[in-house]
Amino acid sequence: MPQTLLELFPTSLRLVLEQIPAVARESLEEIRIRENRPLEIGYGSRYSFVREDGALTDRYREAFVPSKELCRALLERVTNHSIYAVEEELRRGYVTVSGGHRIGLAGRTLLDKGQVSHLRDIAGFNVRIARARIGVASEVLPELLDFNSRTIGHTLIVSAPQQGKTTLIRELARCISSGEWHHPNAREWGSRKVGIVDERSEIAACERGVPTFDLGPRCDVLDACPKAEGIMMMVRSLSPEVIVVDEIGRPEDALAINEAIHAGVRVLATAHATDLKDVFARPVLAKLAADGVFASFVLLSRDGRKVEHRVVTAEEAIRETSRRYSRTIGSTPRDAPRDASWDTPRDAIVQGSLAPAAPSPAQVNVKARPMPVIRSPNAIMPRGDEDA
Amino acid sequence: MLKFAGILLILFAGTMIGFLQAARFAARPRQIREMLHALQRLETEISYGQTHLPEALSRISGMVTQPLSNLFASIASSLSRDSAGYGETVRECWEAAVISHWPGTAMKKPEREAVLRLGSTLGGSGREDQLKHIRLTSIQLQAEEASARDDQHRYEKLSRSLGMLGAALVVILMV
Repeated sequence: MPQTLLELFPTSLRLVLEQIPAVARESLEEIRIRENRPLEIGYGSRYSFVREDGALTDRYREAFVPSKELCRALLERVTNHSIYAVEEELRRGYVTVSGGHRIGLAGRTLLDKGQVSHLRDIAGFNVRIARARIGVASEVLPELLDFNSRTIGHTLIVSAPQQGKTTLIRELARCISSGEWHHPNAREWGSRKVGIVDERSEIAACERGVPTFDLGPRCDVLDACPKAEGIMMMVRSLSPEVIVVDEIGRPEDALAINEAIHAGVRVLATAHATDLKDVFARPVLAKLAADGVFASFVLLSRDGRKVEHRVVTAEEAIRETSRRYSRTIGSTPRDAPRDASWDTPRDAIVQGSLAPAAPSPAQVNVKARPMPVIRSPNAIMPRGDEDA
Repeated sequence: MLKFAGILLILFAGTMIGFLQAARFAARPRQIREMLHALQRLETEISYGQTHLPEALSRISGMVTQPLSNLFASIASSLSRDSAGYGETVRECWEAAVISHWPGTAMKKPEREAVLRLGSTLGGSGREDQLKHIRLTSIQLQAEEASARDDQHRYEKLSRSLGMLGAALVVILMV
């Protein structure tokens, strides 16, 4: 855990966190602080409660319980004693502190005309630790290249939360802007201008406009800018060759992405979804995917500390989802056993030789509905007259 | 001869005490006014600049004159991250600084209460709320300023002449 992040915590909490075992500290992903409830940490895809002496335990009754004063002090410190200056972030439910660490907040929302206008009585904090992992992109990037135009194709990175989307996209941006394509045939391509629209300040973690993560030499960052507007601003004035955006999903994002694509810019985006089925179930993403915007999809899953990825091209994705189109009632927990299709070799899916899995009770196959018969208006009396 | 020197010393000391007292009466409204200017500046920093509190306070400390400048500078430095020893919330830092710096100013208890009350809300709520609290404190300080000016008119000259006359009385009694 970085020292700068530790300094953010109030003293009593810092003393506890400094004592947690080194194993957990190195792979720390989340610190969850809830007022008057046990302190929890997430590390290496596991979670534990933390006792006052820093030892990890599974029994929550023994855990350290942060007090109201501690939570108030923590809130003040993460907002730099200036809640008034982060109202916009509070409205969205998180603040980003220096170093790119995002702190999700839970509290009581105040509404104004049906919209969330403010968050008060904040009693839950989720400190997510951002890490730069040099090298995670070296396996993914070669599969995303577009050899005709000597750059990358439009790509959507898809995974559930906490699987390393932002880490991967940051590393991809660095590779592209420094020209490390990790492919023998792409050695002479040179680098590309990269524009990052960093709405949540997570990719670049800018401090006063300067990225704190290494993003390569040819990278421009629009910090804290709404994605749709930011993409347009980039296209208009910064002449990027590749645009990087995090967590698309709103209709205006899709419009802006379409604009960018037709302006000759490559788009590298991430989205929250557990698998391709989810992508095709989310209206905006489904539209983008169905229009053939994305050349490939990267699916991430994580097992312990190791991030596994799977690259699916657009045709495969459409084939796969239309064949296995199904609805899951509710969603599966994140630590549930993985879907069997993950383990099937990629070639099998490509050739379509894989027999459809036996329908499980949770899956409902949707059949094509017969078209309703169109009747001429003369054959039936208008309904209004009947009722009268 | 010795007696004469003693008389002169007593007269001098008495006059000085009177002048010092008068200067305190004159300084109080001036410092309250300065505090009001500082609050106005803070209001601007919060509403337009959305400057973070430690930075806003250190800017203000560069703008106002001595006793207040020290006060704001010490709050700003204890709020910045690396010096957590002074307290963790704005209220703690503010209280500690106000209590330690107040004897150095000419201001009295009512102003101190108003300023302390502001410290317990500063930084802890949304922009509109902050502005309301600052304005409320300004109104209280304005009332105090009016009464401080009254006191100044009434007691400034009085304490000046009282000092000298008191010294004269002592001299007469001793002779």
